[in-house]
Amino acid sequence: MASSEGTNKPEQINLANLSLEQLVQIKQEFEQEINGIQESLQTLYDCKAKYASSKEALESFQPEWNDRQVLVPLTSSMYVPGRIKDMDNFVIDVGTGYYVEKNLEGSKDYFKRRVEYVQEQIEKIEKIQIQKSRFLSAVVGVIEMKQLAAVKQMQQQQQAA
Amino acid sequence: MDKNSAALVKKLQSELEVYQNLQKTCMKLVKQRTLLESQLNENKCVLDELNLLAPDNKVYKLYGPVLVKQELEESRQNVGKRIEYISKELKSSTDTLESVEKDMAKHRESVQKLQQQYQVALAMK
Repeated sequence: MASSEGTNKPEQINLANLSLEQLVQIKQEFEQEINGIQESLQTLYDCKAKYASSKEALESFQPEWNDRQVLVPLTSSMYVPGRIKDMDNFVIDVGTGYYVEKNLEGSKDYFKRRVEYVQEQIEKIEKIQIQKSRFLSAVVGVIEMKQLAAVKQMQQQQQAA
Repeated sequence: MDKNSAALVKKLQSELEVYQNLQKTCMKLVKQRTLLESQLNENKCVLDELNLLAPDNKVYKLYGPVLVKQELEESRQNVGKRIEYISKELKSSTDTLESVEKDMAKHRESVQKLQQQYQVALAMK
């Protein structure tokens, strides 16, 4: 369970020089890291979906809707009639308790930027994920080789005995 | 020899305990740092957004369930201050984490050494 932070450059170590125990430890650490990455990715995907759905909702707003009657949900099963008074002002939660008032275009733009930002992060993390998985499979390969070699050695010793 | 190995076991146990405690602290610190990092990130996003606003954009802050109107410039300053504060916290947290990790490495080594000594002692019997 020791952390790998002590060895900051795992790529520069020749895997074949490590003992089986060390390799197994590295493998476990990487598996944990990859799990963590997957979790973060999932969160990011959820985030992106949320922003995208807000944007979609805004897309369906049309300027000629002014003064239209709508039903405002009070609970999921009870509505009160309302009338759209102001089509061009939206209050957006930008995080840490701050809310900003923006017009329709500005709001759409905000959500567009958010979706792009999250997408960027997703791509960054996916790259890291690919790197780590590659390294993990390399480690697994070396482990298998070593195990095979160990088995062979044992067989030879048995035959010799 | 037996007395010796008994002392060795005792030493090993206490060393192991120290190491495990350090491990716990380390995990706590990592958690704390992750939290700070995400807060920093969120605040940075908010500041970016506030910096994009025109002076006539209205800004509100949520106090409990109420939205209170804020001055744009003031909000920018507040978020900036918060970023500063969080960065400082993050730095001190990272420093502590580093020193704990160093400590951990030291204790890990001595645990390993003691284990080897113990095994040698066992083999000598």
